[in-house]
Amino acid sequence: MKHLLVGVVIVILGGAIAATSLVRKAAAHDPLQDVAMVGTALGATLVVYGGLVLLTALAGGGKSAALVRVDHFLPFLRKKKKQTVHRPSWFKRLVAKVLPASWLSDPMTGRAGRLRVFFKRLGPTMLSSPLRRVIQTICLLAFLWLFFYVCWPYTATPQPAGRVSTGWQLVEIDADTGFLRMVQTRADDWAQAPEEARFLVDPQALDAIQGEFGRFVVVQHVASDLTLRPSEPLTEHQLDQLLTTSGTWDLHERSPWPSHYADDLARKESLPADLFLVIDPLVSLSTAIAARSWVWSLTSAAVILIVCIVIPRGFCGYLCPLGTLIDLFDWAVSKRIRRFRVADDGWWVHLKYYVLLGTLVSAVCGVLVSGFVAAIPIITRGMLFLGEPVQSGLLRGWQQVPPPNAGQFVSILLFFVVLGLGLLRPRFWCKYVCPSGAVFSLGNVFRVSERKVESSCIHCNKCVEICPFDAIKADFTTRVTDCTLCQTCGGVCPTQAIKFVNRGNLVELKVENDPPTRETPIGRRGFVSLAAGTAAALVGGVGIASATKAFGARLGDPHTRPLVRPPGSVPEQEFLTMCIRCGECFKACPYNVLQPTGFEQGLEGLWTPKVVADHAGCASSCNACGQVCPTGAIRALPLAEKKAARMGLAIVNAETCLPMAAREPCRLCVDECIAAGYHAIEFKRMHTQTDEDGRPVEESGFLAPVVLADKCVGCGLCQMSCFNVNVHQKQLLPASAIVVEAGEGKEDRILHGSYRALRSAEASQRRARLRDQQTHDYFIPGSGSVDHAEAPSPFSADETAPPQTPAANDDPFGIGAP
Amino acid sequence: MRPCFALIAVLAGCVLLAERALADDQIEFLSGARVQGKVTHIDRTQKIVTFDARIGGREIRREYPYNKIHAVTYNGQRYVLNKKESTPKPLPRSTDQSGPDATSPQPPRSVKALIEEAGKTPPDWYDDTPLEYPPTLDLSWPAKPQGAWNNQKNVGQYMWDIVNPNPDRWRRGVKLVHHLLAMHQNDAKKRQRAMQTLGGMYFNLFQDYARAAYWWQQAGVDANHNAGFALGECYWRLGDRQAAVAFLVDPDRPRPNNSLRVGMIKLWGDMGETDKAVKVAEWYVRVGGEPHMAFLFAGDALRLAGRYQESLNYYQKVINAPDGKNKKNSDREKSRARASLEAVRLFDLSDVSRVADGSYQAESIGYSGPVVVEVVVQSRQIKSVRVVRHVEKQFYAALTDVPDQIIAKQGVKGVDATSRATMTAEAILNATAKALAQGAN
Repeated sequence: MKHLLVGVVIVILGGAIAATSLVRKAAAHDPLQDVAMVGTALGATLVVYGGLVLLTALAGGGKSAALVRVDHFLPFLRKKKKQTVHRPSWFKRLVAKVLPASWLSDPMTGRAGRLRVFFKRLGPTMLSSPLRRVIQTICLLAFLWLFFYVCWPYTATPQPAGRVSTGWQLVEIDADTGFLRMVQTRADDWAQAPEEARFLVDPQALDAIQGEFGRFVVVQHVASDLTLRPSEPLTEHQLDQLLTTSGTWDLHERSPWPSHYADDLARKESLPADLFLVIDPLVSLSTAIAARSWVWSLTSAAVILIVCIVIPRGFCGYLCPLGTLIDLFDWAVSKRIRRFRVADDGWWVHLKYYVLLGTLVSAVCGVLVSGFVAAIPIITRGMLFLGEPVQSGLLRGWQQVPPPNAGQFVSILLFFVVLGLGLLRPRFWCKYVCPSGAVFSLGNVFRVSERKVESSCIHCNKCVEICPFDAIKADFTTRVTDCTLCQTCGGVCPTQAIKFVNRGNLVELKVENDPPTRETPIGRRGFVSLAAGTAAALVGGVGIASATKAFGARLGDPHTRPLVRPPGSVPEQEFLTMCIRCGECFKACPYNVLQPTGFEQGLEGLWTPKVVADHAGCASSCNACGQVCPTGAIRALPLAEKKAARMGLAIVNAETCLPMAAREPCRLCVDECIAAGYHAIEFKRMHTQTDEDGRPVEESGFLAPVVLADKCVGCGLCQMSCFNVNVHQKQLLPASAIVVEAGEGKEDRILHGSYRALRSAEASQRRARLRDQQTHDYFIPGSGSVDHAEAPSPFSADETAPPQTPAANDDPFGIGAP
Repeated sequence: MRPCFALIAVLAGCVLLAERALADDQIEFLSGARVQGKVTHIDRTQKIVTFDARIGGREIRREYPYNKIHAVTYNGQRYVLNKKESTPKPLPRSTDQSGPDATSPQPPRSVKALIEEAGKTPPDWYDDTPLEYPPTLDLSWPAKPQGAWNNQKNVGQYMWDIVNPNPDRWRRGVKLVHHLLAMHQNDAKKRQRAMQTLGGMYFNLFQDYARAAYWWQQAGVDANHNAGFALGECYWRLGDRQAAVAFLVDPDRPRPNNSLRVGMIKLWGDMGETDKAVKVAEWYVRVGGEPHMAFLFAGDALRLAGRYQESLNYYQKVINAPDGKNKKNSDREKSRARASLEAVRLFDLSDVSRVADGSYQAESIGYSGPVVVEVVVQSRQIKSVRVVRHVEKQFYAALTDVPDQIIAKQGVKGVDATSRATMTAEAILNATAKALAQGAN
């Protein structure tokens, strides 16, 4: 009764917290969004826990009078003693009703049912704790599905161009609303559908992409009088353009830019592609420390840590796809090779804490090594460099797979080392080394559930043998920092002495230290090893940090060639700090333009993404890398911003470029750039021949490419086409004659702010520079030079007159009385 | 007492409203747009109005020159700075159509007027186009520039090397020539050179036949001038066929009135006078002209008229002809003839007017595998060409540009695949031709 009440109180409390948080979360632009998310998780966890308390109370706590039981293992099958009155739990009664009797074991005879026989065939851990294995399988499959499906955008193809309605004339920009009023002589009905997005395009531009002015939403229309709301506030330059452009505008149904990759990604946005990465707490924690800023994924880490208070280290036992993969490897390989086995204790048993400490220390020093050692990045990169090329090769053709480099090989090696540790002991990595696991072990201090052993224990040692995490001491009690509550031990215990209950439950517990464990909480030796380990971790952390810096990127060195980074990357120093080498961007990049860096920047740049444009260029319709970056090292840019973000500048090699070297005509890069919509490469004629009169010979010479620095964003499509045709196909050149380069003035690396604003500021400067040489002279023979656009005003400005206050003047504009 | 208060309140309200109305100035631009705000400064010497535009509650301070403005309402008073033309300018701009046909002949008088009117007004993009040229450019524009070829110093060479190859620079190029014309208006030779250059640019780059004709007329181009028949083409394109013929050599007239030029063959062909084109070509070769270009144009004229078999003969003649004085040129014309020959033979079937409506798929082998193209033909027109499956590298250029070209040209004929130098483009073309051939049977 008391327990029931406690359960109700917990549920109400949890519900209240969750509801409050959800309300805050729903309120847009609430600065406490992150806190609200953690609050929701806390409330939800409380509700679930309260629910478990209620269920336990309703089922009758049994003799141990536990507040909560989280048992889900399949208990050892025993014939029931005749004299005991057996009242099966509500769950068993439910199962008995739903499933056919032949599937279930018979408690009277002790004969195993079909379900049990099936589980037994699968293996002892499956028999003991099937639920855990099912969850593990689901998580691994979910990880793989998210990995291989979400980042497979090739089913998306560019939409056919939408409809175009021409001949729109701007009438007015409304002072109060900022809406545009436009009219058209004929009425295109489709263009005026209310609340539809329309794209204003200047038909006089080179093409629709260059002429795209902006996105507008139809507010209302009367006949062919259309009111449009700008999607974004108009800039100064846009205003000038709208007001002073003579001629009409086109309304496009769709943006002339292709957007299929971004659309594909947006369609999949509801799928949490980086789910497993953001719940790896080490990743967010170390990033936040290294970058000294709030990282949004910290909230996800907080959520998983809250959940793991109920299921201590549940992440490792149930969710972690790397753990499951190691389980599979251990089952398939390590089980058969026993020659490398080591004892169950040694210097390595607490290694994970020191690895964690070292990681955090080096993060404090500003160097992120969590990507090398954290669980999810390791499996992500393993899949990425092993699985993804196979996926691409099989489904899209092997020529699409770029050749691997040192970065890939090192990563693959590390992946196999992690798996191979299983040869020493099953799940050696998870138990002793994994620093992400260490975070959860430390979180276990706050656990509310726990494995307990009752006095009916017969010291049979079966639980110790089967425990995958070495979490059972010699006296069969729990090593609480290691136990993942996988409940396999519960399933093998012949006396059902093992229970998973609330931490405070102390009923009928087994005597501790019997048989003696010879473990002391912290003895002299323990203290020495703790001190030594900590010192080693500190020294190691600082050492790694200083080593990476010493053999690092040497950013200031003028002799090093800066790497081309993905579009929207933050400044290089911050980039190296914030990038956790999780591999999400490689995975997301549709054409594998992003490749891992090897040792070009020493250790500091290892596995950071760089643009390799030989095999593919950055698609203008894709902004995937920024969208998936968990730390913001690549900014999550909207497509319009991404297209304005310069990642580099294409540089033509004057010695090798075929037309420049007068070898043969070639216009691959120009065509590619025009087709992509940038128009950033133009021609100049070179090697022009002249006749005797010094006049150029028609068609002589070569049209050579010239990159316009103010338009080039460094997408690398030009490099791709030159490499593929001139280098690969025709074998005319040893390397692409046009190459994207990064560096000062060639790329935009900003932490905040708009790239489009940068471009528009540059354009204003250019216009201001040109303004000095502007004239409007339009000479017409026989009339002398007239300033054509000038009104034929008899009054010119009186330059000698003192400046007058305009209001006091009848002729403020100096054009004669109106 | 109370009504009195009410009256005062109403009056106060009126005053406030009036005040508000006064506070809002308005600019009406020549573009037709108007915007409200506040005139903060008027620079009468520079002819610039500083204006705080009010847009959606924001105020944006901008400066606008008088010549962009039609009228300003300032402190409640409306001032017209520039008169607006009541009717939109007749702008005979690019005509991609093959010219006006005989059914809608425009009386010559109006064509003359059209040319006059268009020539005296700048093109509508003129004001928005910046005057931009390299600072090293020698604007004194000597007839024979000294020294070696230098496209950053000599105007003609700058035009040749930098402006002509880049459509993006054409408007700025025209602006520069107008600027040179104004600069050298008192130097008869340079003035004539500038006007002739303008005629050529409007003709070749913009297909703005009215302005081309105007400036050629002003430059004194006549029938015997190099550009004479091009001026004739302008007249024809604008609708004055008679004036055009005066610039040509008519083979059916006993005495040739003008000197013979190879471009006339093309113009006769374009005008639909295929037989005259062929006759002029034969004549041209008989009197000693080089056969390559002449027969190529004759072939083109026949092909345009749908006389494919005859056109093949003329293309073959070009290929068989011995090399000319300039081997490079005759080689180029031979390869053009070869390409045309190939195109006529291969793609004659895929004439869209013979293809039944429907959607057709066909594939061809590209650089790294099959390229599947889907062609939709609706009411005898190619509505869409889509690459539905490919394993090519990105090659945006080919994947989007070639289908666009096919749609624009309504067939695979004349789509320039060779210059793209990619197998992808050719694969798309071949697949499209195959797909269309399915529907033609």
